Amino acid sequence: MSTITSRNSLVNGGTNRYEFVAGATIALSALLFALGMTALFEFVTLTDPIAGVPTVSVLGGLLVLIGIGVIGLGVSSSLELIETTPDRSAGLVAGVVFGGLWFGIGGIVAAGILGLGGAGWILPALLLGGGAFAVTTFTREDIGSTVPAGVLAILAGGVFLTGVLGPGWSYSPGSFPSDNAVTFFPSVIVPGSVLFCSLLVGWASAKAYAGFGARGRHLGAHVLIYLNALGIIAVLFGLVGFVVIKGAPTAFTEVAIGPGVGPEVSVLGLSFSLPVSWPFLMNGASVFVRVDGILPAVVGTVWLVVGAVLFAVPIAVGAAVFLAEYADEGRFTSVVEVATNGLWSTPSIVFGLFGASFLIPRFGGSKSLIAGMLTLGFMLLPLVLITSREAMLAVPDEYRDASAALGVSKWQTIRSVVLPAALPGVVTGIILGVGRIAGETAPILVTMAGGTLPAGGETVDVIGGFEFIATPPFVTNEALLQASSALPYQLYALITAGLGGPQFEDAPFTALEFAWANAFVLLTVVLSFYAIGITTRYYFRRKLNR
Amino acid sequence: MNLIPRSRATDWIVDARKFVDETPTSALVALTIGTVSILSSLGLFFTASPLTSVTLLVFLVSAAYGWIRHRELTARAVTMAMTASMILILALIVVFIFVEAWPAFDVARAEVFGISVPGLRLFVQTEWAPRAAERYSLVPLIHGTVMVTLVATLVAGPLGVASALFVSEIAPAAVREVVKPGIEILAGIPSIVYGFIGFTIISPWASEQFDLVGQGTYLFVGAVVGLMALPTVVSVAEDALNSVPESMKDGSLALGTTDWQTMTTITLPAAFSGVSAAVLLGVGRAIGETMAATVMLRNSPQLPEPLYNVFYGYDTLTSAIAAQYGEATADQLSALFAAGVVLFITVMFLSIGSQLIERRMKRQLGGHE
Repeated sequence: MSTITSRNSLVNGGTNRYEFVAGATIALSALLFALGMTALFEFVTLTDPIAGVPTVSVLGGLLVLIGIGVIGLGVSSSLELIETTPDRSAGLVAGVVFGGLWFGIGGIVAAGILGLGGAGWILPALLLGGGAFAVTTFTREDIGSTVPAGVLAILAGGVFLTGVLGPGWSYSPGSFPSDNAVTFFPSVIVPGSVLFCSLLVGWASAKAYAGFGARGRHLGAHVLIYLNALGIIAVLFGLVGFVVIKGAPTAFTEVAIGPGVGPEVSVLGLSFSLPVSWPFLMNGASVFVRVDGILPAVVGTVWLVVGAVLFAVPIAVGAAVFLAEYADEGRFTSVVEVATNGLWSTPSIVFGLFGASFLIPRFGGSKSLIAGMLTLGFMLLPLVLITSREAMLAVPDEYRDASAALGVSKWQTIRSVVLPAALPGVVTGIILGVGRIAGETAPILVTMAGGTLPAGGETVDVIGGFEFIATPPFVTNEALLQASSALPYQLYALITAGLGGPQFEDAPFTALEFAWANAFVLLTVVLSFYAIGITTRYYFRRKLNR
Repeated sequence: MNLIPRSRATDWIVDARKFVDETPTSALVALTIGTVSILSSLGLFFTASPLTSVTLLVFLVSAAYGWIRHRELTARAVTMAMTASMILILALIVVFIFVEAWPAFDVARAEVFGISVPGLRLFVQTEWAPRAAERYSLVPLIHGTVMVTLVATLVAGPLGVASALFVSEIAPAAVREVVKPGIEILAGIPSIVYGFIGFTIISPWASEQFDLVGQGTYLFVGAVVGLMALPTVVSVAEDALNSVPESMKDGSLALGTTDWQTMTTITLPAAFSGVSAAVLLGVGRAIGETMAATVMLRNSPQLPEPLYNVFYGYDTLTSAIAAQYGEATADQLSALFAAGVVLFITVMFLSIGSQLIERRMKRQLGGHE
């Protein structure tokens, strides 16, 4: 906009004022968005006063203000008080959005507030929707994209200010039966419409700030897209932080570090006490321990992951080698590709059903650890195969040619050239895949899940479970054939058992706190896999790019 | 030079004979023993025979021998067998869930124009009453899945495509390094943790705010599931946007367009099929999502009134299986497997559809059309 400033002082002053108003409207919209969020999550109540004025009136006043601001921007641009570059129309997309919006408002006002029954709401809805569509599409862009948004904000603000949506207001659609009834209260409607209007006005005033036209659209779209990315990251941090805050205190109950404080373990006949005592991770749940814990679930998850990796990784990497190095493109490879992608998108519960009908009858007829391991292994196969194959295909052909030129055989080339070069990608794929299956609940729910709150004595002992016998199959493992717990399953079992009462009579926490701590441990385990996987990939990528 | 055109079959026989002639006898023997033993292991495993371990051991021995003496051939043969196992597993899944579901289809026969169609009643009547009347219907479950998936797609589709645009086109490098792994981690949070938060925080909040009878709404389950499907949409759509040749974008920018104009007129249209494949895969994820739905819904299959009432959530195909599998017997179990069959077929269609779309896009951008 700096080219305009040289024209003359009148326009110069106008431009500065215009930019100031546009900037202020954007800032106010951002403020309103934040206020709307806090009201939606009940950090502030609508009837509480802010500086002596009820919150709802403050919100209403601000909405009217930004509405007037954005309309002012549009009008001053259309009267050519300001030099802008608007297009002929705000475009069909904006037209449909605004038209649909006003159609809905017309319908709600007619049916909910004016009480027009039957099909009586359609006419006002059509009138308003059509009007908004026409204004948006058939006027110049500066009017079309600001006026419908501004009028909406003024309308919403006016409704809040006049107290139509007072504390006693509510609306429930009459056509819903009483056992399916829904009631809308101001506590949701007000923040919801504040959020929506502030987004809309923020977008329109961002367009205005950049002078409409191509640059205006650019800025408006960027504001929304940045906000979207910011929102997603905020949700992520919010979720993780929330689980940590809720779960960590319980998970770390009575942790002690020092020589000899931990439980006694014996390794190779040597018995000694661990230097760490972490009751929540080292105890089972029973009346004999004060701090109930989730040891059986932790051990179960570890064995699940070990079993699934031992089963799936060799097969998946081998298949990836074949597909990337040996196979010619043909019918076989395309069938394999369809099958792999199909397995990738097969729902986890379907894998569970398959494990239950295929594996369980062949491993003793009851839910067992090995059925869970293999089911998760089946899920891991496509995850590892796809990433490994991609990593191998990314190895440049010059490497293979150089090795072949030295007279090295195919397998030697694969082993000493392709695999080492592809290793980072393969390892990352494995780690991310393991992170994914470690948190899976549905497949193990139907194939291996044990009791709700297993005691410490029910911890699986896979290594000690091996026995050699004289008849086929010559080796058995009782531990593998028994139901076991796992972290995600245990959380599910806790939820279904009910989180209401204090389940643990002498424990320093309630069942709900126990469940949060369980969720915290599960999340920590899974996210550490992700953190390691993503860091490895990042590290190797930088190394490659250098 | 062979001037006479040969059929495929004779071609294959000639190739095989050539292979036998060129390969040492000991390698052929090891290959035969290995093939026979792994196939018989499979057969014995089907019959749950304890002898499976014996044949498996024979296979391992023959593979080890081959590995020591004929490494090239063994490596090729073993990796090929591993590749074939992918097809085998998919085939086994199909066979086993269909076989287990068949009784439900068989019981629920209905006549159409004099022809008895198995399973039709599962889709035309709407009552699921395993205890009282031994009646099963997939209609309420399919309705629930459709509702959840619709909401989830409305969340994951636009937000996912916008995030993919952000990551691949807009974000400065430093911001991208934060946002991209962030979105991946969002996929890493286990579904039961989402479900737990939904169950303890969102569901009670929704029931209070909207004065609902009981807990569980399709609306908020859909929103949570959409959040979980979002990373799939982002990563696949981002790949598609990245595969648009840089020269196309540069050509547009050189004409003096803004970033956004280039995105809407060049990048998005060129990557359109890839982006829609991404949304399809996201829909597939949403349909298959189990635990969040199981924990947050009411687990009693019925239709809400009116049908578009998103504030009451009863059951989906996935949640019904997860919640009822434990105590189901006989026909009810088969009905749950039938729900699994419907899920599997739907998701497989989406998967194959998105693969076809992606293949088409690759061809177009590759300039072969």
